[in-house]
Amino acid sequence: MSKTEDRLEEAGAPTPTAGNGRVADGAVATEEKTLPFAAYVPMGAVSRYEKPKATISPDVSLSWIRRAAPIVMSHKKQWFSALIFAFAGLMIQVWVPLLLQNGITDALNKNTAGLRNYVILIAVLGVFTGLFGYISRSNLFKVAYSIEFDLRNTIYEHFSRMSFPFYDRVQSGQLISRANSDIRSVQMYLTFAPMILVQCSIAVVAFIFMLSISVPLAFVAMISMPFIYVVGVRMRQKLFPVSWLIQSRLAEVATVVDENVNGVRVVRSFAAEQQQLRQLGTAADRVQWAYIKDADLRARFAPLVQNLSQVGLVFVLLVGGWMIIHDHLPVATIISFNLWLVMMQAPFMMLGMLIMMGQRASASAGRIYEILDERPTIVDRPGAVDLVDSEGDVVFDDVSFAYAADSLLSKSVEAGDGEDKRRQILSHLNLHLRPGETVAMVGRTGSGKSTVARVLARFYDATGGSVRVDGHDVRDLTLTSLRGNIGVVLDEPFLFSVSIRDNIAYGRPDATMEEVQAAAEAAGADGFINRLADGYQTVVGERGYTLSGGQRQRIAIARALLVNPPILILDDATSAIDVKVEQRIHSSLRVLMEGRTTLIIAHRLSTISLADRVVLLDGGRIVADGTHAELLASTPLYSEVLAQAAKEETAETVVAEGTEDVGLESDDDLLQPEVVDLAPEGPEELR
Amino acid sequence: MGAPMGGGGPPGSTQAGLPFGGIPYELQEGVDRLLESEPDRGESKVVFTQLPTPDEKKTLSLTGLLMEYPGMCAAAVVLVAAIALATQLGPSLVSYGINHGLTPPHYDFGVIVFMAILYLVSIVVSASAQWGQARVTGRLASWVMNDLRVKVFRHLQRLSLDFFTEEKAGVVMSRMTSDIENLQQLLQDGLAQFAIQGLTMIVITAFLFATNVRLALITVVCVLPPLVIMSIWFKRASERGYDKVRDGIALVLADLSESLQGVRIVAAHNRQRYNVETHRDVVGAYRDANNYTGRLNGVYGPGSQLLSVVGQVIILGIGGEMLLHHQINLGELTAFFLYVNRFFSPIQLLVQQYNTFQQGRASIFKLRDLLNTEPSVLEAPDAVDLPKIRGEIHFDHVSFGYDPAVPVLHDVDLTITPGETVAFVGATGAGKSTMAKLVTRFYDPTAGRVLIDGYDLQRVTLSSLRSQLGVVPQEPFLFAGTIRDNISFARPGAPDDEVWHAVHQVGLGELVQRLPYGLDTPVHERGQSLSSGERQLIALGRAFMAEPRVLVLDEATSNLDLKSETMVEAALDVLLEGRTAVLIAHRLSTAMRADRIVVVGDGRLLEVGSHDELVSLGGHYAEMYDTWINQSHAA
Repeated sequence: MSKTEDRLEEAGAPTPTAGNGRVADGAVATEEKTLPFAAYVPMGAVSRYEKPKATISPDVSLSWIRRAAPIVMSHKKQWFSALIFAFAGLMIQVWVPLLLQNGITDALNKNTAGLRNYVILIAVLGVFTGLFGYISRSNLFKVAYSIEFDLRNTIYEHFSRMSFPFYDRVQSGQLISRANSDIRSVQMYLTFAPMILVQCSIAVVAFIFMLSISVPLAFVAMISMPFIYVVGVRMRQKLFPVSWLIQSRLAEVATVVDENVNGVRVVRSFAAEQQQLRQLGTAADRVQWAYIKDADLRARFAPLVQNLSQVGLVFVLLVGGWMIIHDHLPVATIISFNLWLVMMQAPFMMLGMLIMMGQRASASAGRIYEILDERPTIVDRPGAVDLVDSEGDVVFDDVSFAYAADSLLSKSVEAGDGEDKRRQILSHLNLHLRPGETVAMVGRTGSGKSTVARVLARFYDATGGSVRVDGHDVRDLTLTSLRGNIGVVLDEPFLFSVSIRDNIAYGRPDATMEEVQAAAEAAGADGFINRLADGYQTVVGERGYTLSGGQRQRIAIARALLVNPPILILDDATSAIDVKVEQRIHSSLRVLMEGRTTLIIAHRLSTISLADRVVLLDGGRIVADGTHAELLASTPLYSEVLAQAAKEETAETVVAEGTEDVGLESDDDLLQPEVVDLAPEGPEELR
Repeated sequence: MGAPMGGGGPPGSTQAGLPFGGIPYELQEGVDRLLESEPDRGESKVVFTQLPTPDEKKTLSLTGLLMEYPGMCAAAVVLVAAIALATQLGPSLVSYGINHGLTPPHYDFGVIVFMAILYLVSIVVSASAQWGQARVTGRLASWVMNDLRVKVFRHLQRLSLDFFTEEKAGVVMSRMTSDIENLQQLLQDGLAQFAIQGLTMIVITAFLFATNVRLALITVVCVLPPLVIMSIWFKRASERGYDKVRDGIALVLADLSESLQGVRIVAAHNRQRYNVETHRDVVGAYRDANNYTGRLNGVYGPGSQLLSVVGQVIILGIGGEMLLHHQINLGELTAFFLYVNRFFSPIQLLVQQYNTFQQGRASIFKLRDLLNTEPSVLEAPDAVDLPKIRGEIHFDHVSFGYDPAVPVLHDVDLTITPGETVAFVGATGAGKSTMAKLVTRFYDPTAGRVLIDGYDLQRVTLSSLRSQLGVVPQEPFLFAGTIRDNISFARPGAPDDEVWHAVHQVGLGELVQRLPYGLDTPVHERGQSLSSGERQLIALGRAFMAEPRVLVLDEATSNLDLKSETMVEAALDVLLEGRTAVLIAHRLSTAMRADRIVVVGDGRLLEVGSHDELVSLGGHYAEMYDTWINQSHAA
C-alpha cells in the first residue's frame, strides 16, 4: 500500500523517473522524430508558477484543520506577519481615543503644550496604523489567494491522476462545484478566521482601557455588545439558508430558459409558448418569494445590528453624564467611549459570522477530502518499465472483463432487464495482433468491442487474464509509455475549446505547423479547415466554433495520427463521416497503417476492407477469425451483423455521394442544437 | 430494449434538486424550516399573446419599471430621507447635552436625561425606517424583477427560430440570468443605499457647518479632497481588477471542466502532466488578478483609516486651539469628533454601490436591445384563426433562402392531399428540411405561398396553425421533468388515461409500467439516461398526444438496435394513420412506406411519384435504390 503511494508521489513529479525512463529533454525529443515511430515523447511544459509547496495531509484521522495545516504553514511567514501586524496596528489604534480624550482635557485646562504633544503623537500613531494596516492586509490577501492557488492545483493534480473507473462513478458537475465553492469556503476560513480573532483582541484591550477610566461606565457601555454578537449569529443562521434557496431557485429559472432556448423548435412546433411562459412565471414567482423572504429577514436583523451599538452610546451619555456631574469624570470621556464602541462594533459582528463560516468550511473541507482521499486504481506498479518503440505485437491472453458494480453506469444496469449487475463484458478473449497487421473487429452492439480497446490502452484493467504488448504484460509497463505507444481514436470525439491546431497537436504540443497540416491532410480534415475564416487558428469546442460530427471525427483522427504511434486503435472513428470523404481518408490511412499495428472497430464494409483480417466478437469472445470472404462463407452471424449494420447505415450517406463534402452551413444542421453530453461517456455496452 | 428509463429517485425530487445548484446538506435543515412558511401560490397566471400590447412596446427603462408601483416608490423615498436624518441626529444630541448639562458650572442632569430619551427615540425611528426601507425596496425589487423576467421571456417566445442560433443561446441565457440579477441587486439595496449615503454626507456636512463654520470648512477642505481622489482611484483600479478576476475564474473553471469532460482524451494522449502545468498557469493568472485587487484593498482600507485619523488630528489640533480661545465649546467639538468618524463609511459604500450601479445600467441597455429585436416571422395584425383543418398542403410556387441572396428552394410547386404521406428524400442541404420548416411556418417563403386547406399561412394566427401540426424533430428533445410532462407537452394537464393511451400507442406502455414511478419518473439530463430509441418513442408519443391533422417528421439518423427500430416503425404506423404527413426521410426503407416520394435536389423537385413509379422511371431515385440494395446485400 505504502509503495503504491510512493508511486503516486512520483506520478506528480515533473520528470518521469521510473524504470529506464527517459528524461523529458529537447535533444531526445528531436532525435526521436528521426525514428520511424515517434512514440512516447514526454511533454515538458513548465508553468510560470511554482507548484504548491505543501499539500493536504493524507492522515484521515486528523481534524480538518490539522489536515489543511501543512498548506497554511507553507505560507507561515506571510500568514504570521499578517496577524502580527494586524495586532500591532490595532494596539496602536486603540490608544487614539484615550489620547484624544487627554488632549481635549488638556485643551480645556489651557495646557497648550500638552495639546500639541497629543496632536503630534496621534498623527504619528495614525501613520503607523495605516502602514501596519497595509502590511497586514496585503499579506493576508496574499495568503488567502495562495491557499486557494494551492488547493486548486492540488485538486486538479489529483484529478489528473485518477483512473477511468473513478470518472465513471462521479459526475463532473459535482467535481467542479467541489473544486470551486468548497475550496473558497475553506480558504476564507483558514485566512479570515484568525484575522477576526485578532481583531476581537481590540475589544479586549479597548475594554481594559475603558475599565481603567471608569469601571461602571465601561460595563454600561458594553451592555449592547453581547446582543450584537447574538443578533449577528442569528442573522447569519437565518440568512445563509435563504441565500442558498435564492441561488437554487435562480438555477430553476435558468433551467427553464436553457430548456426553452435549446428546445425552441419543439416549443414553437407545439405552440407551447403559453405553457413555457407559465413555467417561467412560476419559477420567477418562486424566486420572488425567496427574495422577499430574504429582504424581510434582512429588515429584521440589519437595523438591530446597526443600531444596537448606538444604544450603548445612549447609555454612555446618560450614565457618563451622571458621573461627570457627580464623580468629576472628564467630559471628554464621552468622546473616547464613543470612539471605542465604534471600534468594537465590527469585530463583534464578525464574530457571529465566524461561527457560520466555521460550520460551512468544515463541511466543505469534508467534501474536498472525500475526493482527495480517493486513490487511483490504475497506477504504475513498482518497477514498471517503459515501453520504448513498440514492435506492435499485441496479445490478449484469456482476457476477461466486467465493469465494477458501483460504476456510475450501474444506475442504468440497476433497473435493467434483470441482468447481472456485474455483467461480464469480455470472457476469456484470446486475440493476437501481429506487428504491422491491420485487424478489423466486428460485432453487435454490446458485444464488447470498445472494451477491447479500453483494456489495451489500460483505461481499465482486465479482471482476468492478461494483455501483453511486445511480450510485456501492460500492467508491468509505465502508463505513460504504454499510452504513448498507442493512438486511440474514440467513437465520440471530444474537442477542447482551443484552436484546431492545438486540438490536433494535443498529444504533441510542440509539433510544427507542417506536421499538423500533414496529419490533418491524412485525416481528410485539411479541406474544411482551410475553408474556415481563421483556418487552423479557429477555436472550436464548447466555447468556440461548432463542427459537425464528421468534422470532429476527422480532427480526432488527425490528433491520433500526429502522435504517430506504432499501435493505432480506431473505435468506430469514421461513423459520422460521409462515405465519400471516408474513402479519401482511407487511401491515406492505408499508407499510414503500413507497418503499424492497427485495430479497427467498424461496421461499414468500406472500412472493413482496409483490414488484413477480420475478427468477429460475440458474447465477449472471438467467435470467428479470418478474411472478410472467409467469414462471409463460414459464419452466418457475420453476415447478420453486417446486414444489420448496413440497415442502420443511413440512406443519407448513400444519397450524399453526389454532393460535395458538406459543411455545417447546410440547412439541416442550422437549427440542430449540438447535443453536448456533460456526463462522462461510459462504455457503450452498458448504455 | 437495452437500457431502462430514468434514474429513479422520487418524483418531485427534481424540484429543489438542481444540477449542483444543490443546497449543502448542513444548510438543508434551515432551508426546510424556511420553506414551511411558503404559501401555496399555484401556477403563475401570466398570459402569452403573439402580438405585444401597446404597453409592452414602450422602451425599457428602470424608472418605467419602477413607476408601475408608484406608492411603493414614494414610501421608499420618504423612508430613505427619514433614515438619513434620524441616523445622524445622535452626535448633535450628545453635543447639546454636553453644552447644556455638563458644562461647569451649569450641570443639569435633566437635560442629559432628555437628550438620552431623544437619542433613544431617534435610534428607534431610524431602526424602524431601516426596517421599513428594506421591506419596501425588497418588495419593489422582487416585483420589478419578476415583471422583467416575464417580459423578456415573453418576448423570447415571440421571436422566430432564426434568432435562436447556437451562439445566441449563451447570450439569451445571460440576459435572462446575470443581467436581470444585476438589476435585482441594484434595486433591492443599491439605489436606496446610494440615496441614503449621498444624503448622509449632505446631512453630516450640514450639521458640521451649522455647528461651526470655520472648523467645518477646515476639516472638509483637508479631508474631503484626498478622500474623493483616493476613492475615485480605487473605483477605477478595482473595476479593472475585478474584471481580471472574473475573466480569471472563468478560465479556471473552463479549463477544469474541459479537463474533466475530455479526461479520456487527456489520458490517451498522456497529457496529464502537461495539463497540470497549464492549469497552474491559469490558476496562477487568477491568483495574480486576485493579488492585485488584494493590494488595492490593502491600500484603500488602511488609507481611508489613516485619513480618518488625520481628520481627528485636525479637529484636535485646530479645534483644541479654538477651544482654548473659546471660539468653540466642548459640545460642538464633541459633535465634530463623532461626525467626522461617520463621514468615511458613506464614501466607501458609495464607491461599492457605484459598480453595481454601472453594471445595472449596462444590463438595462442589453435588455433593451433584446426587447427591440423584432421576430422575423410576424403574425399579421388581422390574422384569423385557422379552423379545424382537413390537411391539404399546397406549396404555391415557393422560393426561399435563409440568406435571400442564397436561395435554397426555387419555385417549388406541390400539393399534398389530406391523409397522404409524402416522403422527401435528397442529399443533405438539398432543401428537404427547409420545406418542412415552411409548413410549420418557422420561416416565410421569399416568394410564393404555402397554403393549408387554402389558407395562406401568413394570414392565420401562429398558435391556431401550430396547434394542429405535430412535429417530430430529428433529434428528439426532451425537457427536464417527468415522462408525463414530456408526453403531454402539447396538452399539459391532459387526463391520465389519455397520456397512457398515447404511451401504449407508441409502444412504451410496458416499459413505463415497469418503472417504479411510472409516468412520473423524472427524465434526467435531457434524456441522456434513456436510450435513443426510447427518446424517439417519447417524441412520437408527444406528437400523438397533440392529435395533429398534419404531421411533420424529420427522421432520426441515429442508429437503433433492431428491436428499437421495429418499435419505432410500429409507432410511426400508428401515428401516420389517417393524417397528412410530411416525412423527411434519411433511409430509403422509411421513404418506401410513403404514398408518394419527392426527390429534392438543389432546391428543386426532381422526381415525384410512388416508390414503384420512381424505380421504373430509372432516374435519381432508382439510382439511390440500386446503391442501397447493393450495399445491404453485399453482406
